[in-house]
Amino acid sequence: MTSSEAGAGGARAADDSPVLSVQNATHQFGSLVAVDDVSITAGRGEFLTLLGESGSGKTTLLRVIAGLERPTQLGGIFIEGQDVSAVPASRRNCTTVFQHYALFPHMSVGQNIEYGLRVRGVSLSERRERAMEALNLVRLPETYDRRVHQLSGGERQRISLARALVTRPAILLLDEPLGALDEKLRVDMQVELLDLHRKLGITFIYVTHSQEEALTMSDRIILMRNGNIVQEGPPTDLFDRPGNRFVADFMGVENLLEGTLEAVSGGRASVRVGDHELGGIWSGGDAPAAGTKVCVAVRAERVRLSNESGEGREDAVNRLPCRAGITIYKGKYVDRTLDTDIGAVKARIWDHEADLADLTSLWWRDDECAVTLMEAEDS
Amino acid sequence: MAITNLSGTRFRLPFWRQLGDWAPTGISIIFGYAVLFILYFPIVMLMILSFSGEPNTGIPGDWTITWYEDVIFADIAKRDGEAYGSNFRVGDPLLLSIMLAFITAVACVIAVLIVGPILPRIKWRGPFLVGFLMPLMIPGIVGGVGLFMWYRLVIHVKMGIWSLVLAHFVWAFPFALLAMLVVASRFDTRLMEAAEDLGAKPWQRFWQIEIPILKPGIYAAGFFGFLLSFNELPFSIFMRSGQDTLPLYLWIQSGAHNTTVPLIFAMSTIVTIGSIGLTFVAIKLAFGGGKNDVK
Repeated sequence: MTSSEAGAGGARAADDSPVLSVQNATHQFGSLVAVDDVSITAGRGEFLTLLGESGSGKTTLLRVIAGLERPTQLGGIFIEGQDVSAVPASRRNCTTVFQHYALFPHMSVGQNIEYGLRVRGVSLSERRERAMEALNLVRLPETYDRRVHQLSGGERQRISLARALVTRPAILLLDEPLGALDEKLRVDMQVELLDLHRKLGITFIYVTHSQEEALTMSDRIILMRNGNIVQEGPPTDLFDRPGNRFVADFMGVENLLEGTLEAVSGGRASVRVGDHELGGIWSGGDAPAAGTKVCVAVRAERVRLSNESGEGREDAVNRLPCRAGITIYKGKYVDRTLDTDIGAVKARIWDHEADLADLTSLWWRDDECAVTLMEAEDS
Repeated sequence: MAITNLSGTRFRLPFWRQLGDWAPTGISIIFGYAVLFILYFPIVMLMILSFSGEPNTGIPGDWTITWYEDVIFADIAKRDGEAYGSNFRVGDPLLLSIMLAFITAVACVIAVLIVGPILPRIKWRGPFLVGFLMPLMIPGIVGGVGLFMWYRLVIHVKMGIWSLVLAHFVWAFPFALLAMLVVASRFDTRLMEAAEDLGAKPWQRFWQIEIPILKPGIYAAGFFGFLLSFNELPFSIFMRSGQDTLPLYLWIQSGAHNTTVPLIFAMSTIVTIGSIGLTFVAIKLAFGGGKNDVK
C-alpha cells in the first residue's frame, strides 16, 4: 500500500520510494504487547493516519518511529532509505507535535521555536529569520516575544507545530495534536493542518482516536487494535468497505446485523438474517464458505422509510416490515429507532419530507450496505 | 453582628449574644501576638542592648557603638600585633564559618542535583525519601555524638575542617533535598523527550532544559546549605578540633567571660542582619524573575 491514492492531500514528489518504512516492529511494556509485529510504510508527502482507540498501540508505534521508544524487536526502521534503528531520537530526521504541547516554560515563544536550530548550532540571525517564517506559517507572527503561559491552548498547539516544522524534517509526527482543544477550534485546526500539509509537502503521520478527524484529513488510514493493524486503506475504503465488524463499528456504522452467509457472487453477498434475505457488497476480503456467520453493516442515513408493502419491487431484497419506536430530535436531523422482527434498526432522517408518521416498512439499497466478516476471535 | 431582615431594616443583637462570635477570633489574635512577642522580643532586645552602654544590666540606654568597634578593631589589632582592650577575636571563627558554609552549600547543590530529579520518578521512592529525610528528626546532639564515634573510632577521620564539612553536610542535606523536591516533583519529564525529539543531545537537555527549570530548587538548596551550616552548633561541638566556628565561639565566649557579653550582643546583631539580608537575596535570585517561568 505504498502507492499514493488520490485523497485529501495535494502535491506529491515524483520520487516513489517510501520516505518511511517500519518493518516488523514489536514493543512490549512488561508482559503487555503494545505493538505486535507491525510493518508500515509511508510515501513521500503522504498524510497517513494511525487510527485506533486508546491502548491500540498507535501512540507507541509513533514513539518507536520518533526514537523515543526502543522497540523490543525490530526488523528495521528506514527514514528516507536510511536504517535508523540504532540512531537516537535526536538525530532522526523527524519531529513530533505532542498532544500536551511540551513547550519549554522557561523560554519565550521565539526561543521555543528556535530550539531545534539552536541545538544544531545555527546562527542567531538565521534562527530568528526561520522562526519568523515558521510563525507566519502558523499565523502567529506577533507572538515571538511572548511567554508560553500567555498563550491559549490553540495558540500553544500552533507554536508547538511551528517548533516541529522549523527544522524542516522529512516526516512530521503528530500525536493527537487536537485532542486537548475544544470542538470548534479542532475543526479549524483540521483545515489549517491540511493547508500546511499541502503547502509543505512533508509526510505527516497523524495519530488520532477520532474517525472523523481521520476521514477528513488522511490520504490513507491505518486502523489499529491491540497492537495490530486491522485494516488500512484510503478513507473511503474504511468508511464504506469495512473489513470486519470491528472496523464497521469503529467507523460509526449504526446498524450491525448478524446473519449467515448464503453466497458471494460478483462482489455481492446474500445473507440470511432471521426470516429475511438481505444483500450487500462483500467487504471482508476473501469470501468464506457459505454458512459462515457474517455481519450486515448499514449506516442509519441509508435506511429509508416506506408505507407501501413493496411486494414485487426491484429493491425488495433489503426490505423489513417495522413498527415505529423512539424518535430523537437532533436539530439537523431526526434519529428514529424502528422495531423489526430481527431487532431494532436505527434510521437517520435528514429530510423532513422523507419522514413518515404511518410507516410500515424500511428498506435500503444493497449497494449502500456492506457485508463483512464477524470480528476475528482474538486480534 | 448586624442582621438584615427581609424588609431591609437592620437591628443588632445584644452584646452578650455577640460574644460567642468574636471570642474565638479574639483569643487567636491575642495568642498570635503573644507568640510573635516571645519569638522576637529577645532578638530585638539584644539588638537594642548592643547599642547600650551597660548591656549586662538588661536596661537600654547610654547609647554607644563602642561594642561594635571592639568586635571589629580587636581583630584588626590582633593582626597588627597590638594589644587591645578585649580578647574577643571573632575574625578566624567568622572566616571558618563562611568557608564551611560555602563548601556545604556547594556540596548540597551537587548532591541535590544528582538525587533530586530522579527521586520523584523511581517506583520505590518511599524508603529512599524516609532514609534521606530522617536526619531531620534526629536531635543534633545525638547525631553529633554518633558522627564523632563513627569518624574517630571507625573510619578514623581526623577532627578538623573536613569532619566539620561532613557533619554540616549531613545536617543540611535533608533540608536542601526537601527544597529541591518541591521543584523536581513538578518537573515535566516529557519536556526532556520533546528536547530530544528536536535534536538536543543529553548534555544540551541537561544544561538548557533541566537546569534552568530546576533553578529555584538549586538556589534554595544552596541557600539552605549555607545558612544551616553557618548557624550549626550541636554537630560542631563534637567535630571541632582547635578551630572554632562562629556559633561555637560565641557559645564558648558567652559561657566563659563576663566582659565579652556585650560583644556577643553586637556580633549576634551583625550575624542576624547578615542572615536576613542573605535570605532576601536568595529568595530574589530563586523566585525573582521566575514569575513568568511558571507554566
